[in-house]
Amino acid sequence: MHEKNKKNGIIGSTFLTFLCIFWIMPVFIVLWNSFKNKNSINLQPFQLPSNETFVGWENYGAAIGKYGLLQSVGWTVFITVFSVAAILLFCSMCGWFITRVKTWWTKMIYVLCLFSMVVPFQMVMYTLSLVANMLQLTNPFGIIIVYLGFGAGLAIFMFTGFVRSIPIEIEEAAMIDGCTPLQTFFRIVVPIMKPTYISVGILETMWIWNDFLLPYLVLDLKKYKTISIVIQYMKGSYGSVDMGAIMAALILALIPVVIFYLSCQKYIIKGVAAGAVKG
Amino acid sequence: MSTLELKHICKIYPNNEKKGHHKHNNLKTTDEGVLAVDDFNLEIKDKEFIVLVGPSGCGKSTTLRMVAGLEEITKGELYIDNKLMNDIEPKDRDIAMVFQSYALYPHMTVRQNMEFPLKLRKMPKEEIKKKVDEAAEILGITEYLDRKPKALSGGQRQRVAIGRAIVREPKVLLMDEPLSNLDAKLRNQMRAEIIKLRSRIDTTFIYVTHDQTEAMTLGDRIVIMKDGVVQQIGTPQQVYDTPVNLFVAGFIGVPMMNFFDGELIKDGMKYYVELNGVKIELSPEKEAKMAAKGVEAQKVTIGVRPEHMELTQREGQMIQATVDVSEMMGSHINVHIRVQEKEGVMIVDTQGNSNRNFRMGETIQFTFEPAVIHVFDAEGKNLEVKKEL
Repeated sequence: MHEKNKKNGIIGSTFLTFLCIFWIMPVFIVLWNSFKNKNSINLQPFQLPSNETFVGWENYGAAIGKYGLLQSVGWTVFITVFSVAAILLFCSMCGWFITRVKTWWTKMIYVLCLFSMVVPFQMVMYTLSLVANMLQLTNPFGIIIVYLGFGAGLAIFMFTGFVRSIPIEIEEAAMIDGCTPLQTFFRIVVPIMKPTYISVGILETMWIWNDFLLPYLVLDLKKYKTISIVIQYMKGSYGSVDMGAIMAALILALIPVVIFYLSCQKYIIKGVAAGAVKG
Repeated sequence: MSTLELKHICKIYPNNEKKGHHKHNNLKTTDEGVLAVDDFNLEIKDKEFIVLVGPSGCGKSTTLRMVAGLEEITKGELYIDNKLMNDIEPKDRDIAMVFQSYALYPHMTVRQNMEFPLKLRKMPKEEIKKKVDEAAEILGITEYLDRKPKALSGGQRQRVAIGRAIVREPKVLLMDEPLSNLDAKLRNQMRAEIIKLRSRIDTTFIYVTHDQTEAMTLGDRIVIMKDGVVQQIGTPQQVYDTPVNLFVAGFIGVPMMNFFDGELIKDGMKYYVELNGVKIELSPEKEAKMAAKGVEAQKVTIGVRPEHMELTQREGQMIQATVDVSEMMGSHINVHIRVQEKEGVMIVDTQGNSNRNFRMGETIQFTFEPAVIHVFDAEGKNLEVKKEL
């Protein structure tokens, strides 16, 4: 029996190792291609850089210098951080409120939020870009409001679900102990909701960081570009494609997400486990 | 000094509102909605221990929550220390509450949990530490101060919850079924500790429970409620000795009081009860009370506590009963009997009866002292009690 388990373990590990390599391969291909010259990227994309094809940091220089990647990284970070912060703050408050205050209009808000998750983005995108123009939301500050609106559905759904699982007695105890409603929220409810903040934060960060269509439609592209827009621009509209710069830009765009993931890994796994096994 | 006064307190839930845990079946409904608490009147003296007791859905928790300020008072007035409290926020009422589910803050350690109400009151740090250490000492939780609630057992959690309530030295300490989540053994132990605790802290207690043992052992006075209406208010001895109606009589006492169908016979100034063909004269005291009330002969329900029944062979007093089941309890035997199709229980001391076997279907003879029985009219009211409370 023991023997058999061991054998199965080895087979499983080998299989999973190959699966991992297969999974991560595209990233590595992009990584080594970012150090090769244009021609060899096009002709031999799977070959490792050799003496002839290796170009050092040249592609990175081009991506940063010629295409203004750094600036777009800045804007992307700005938009992502503040949009996610706004979503977390306002949606958690809203989720708490509509769970604890039960009137017909809080129910309406909840139903509307759920409804907004059902409507596909493509259906509203043209009216959205028109409205955004009218309201002059075509800058990185304005787009935060647009993201808040689009992110609210999922976030409020998740927050209400979690608040329902918090026994109301805890909040009542806080009220008797001397908390105002705001103190109850920030000192009691927020710490208890930490796992949900992390899950929602991760989901919304991944979405906003990688989003292409929404900023493409809303932002004034002459002034502000996010990373995904810059990479799109690198393809050029006149047929010339700077593959080297694209590869470098992709790697640079990947780094913050990877760092973000690695630092939150503990919580991601915790969040999943917390949802699965009620302790 | 802190006294409480509840004057004509009512709680009405609008009909359309769904209340999860309240069953409205037996509650009175008015045009405004469902009466969860109906005209509750009580004066609580300083440092008194009041127990609200009744079956679930009787309005006892709702009453407590109205005192706490967690539920709005629909009608009536609540005074704490002669100050009207109806519209005062819970945090400004100077009360503390212990919940059935403990309601500890899960993200804080035991110490932080107990410090929390004091911190909100901006008390100096040294004083907070002193008070928390003191309370922890009283409750025997000093060694757990740095643990999170989830690392504690149910009994320890309940101690922390009590600790958090007493550090503030509130005017009134409210407890909402604090022992219901504990197992039987721990519950007995904690009950004893609450009695001890009471002698160490000077405050007024209001304690809600559905357990009559807790009510009897803890309360200075007991308030028995049913379907939102107060049935009787009195000391444990009073409600045990003179229950005002069938409900109170059945609710207080374990095993439950037996009720048999009988007849009240009046002969001049003398009153008799007839049960299963046996005529027993009531005690002079009861006769005097009934005569003063002008009680007439009628069909009645006779209430006798199991512990007041005894086996007898005395001529003229032997009431026939059939044995259903007997339960050997060690110190005594619970004999389940049947008298004229009414079921009942009697307690037979094992001393002197250790070899006695009660077989199913066997006929036995029992009697009771006339001084300890209760006579209820067709409406369920005790005939010797002057008027309803």
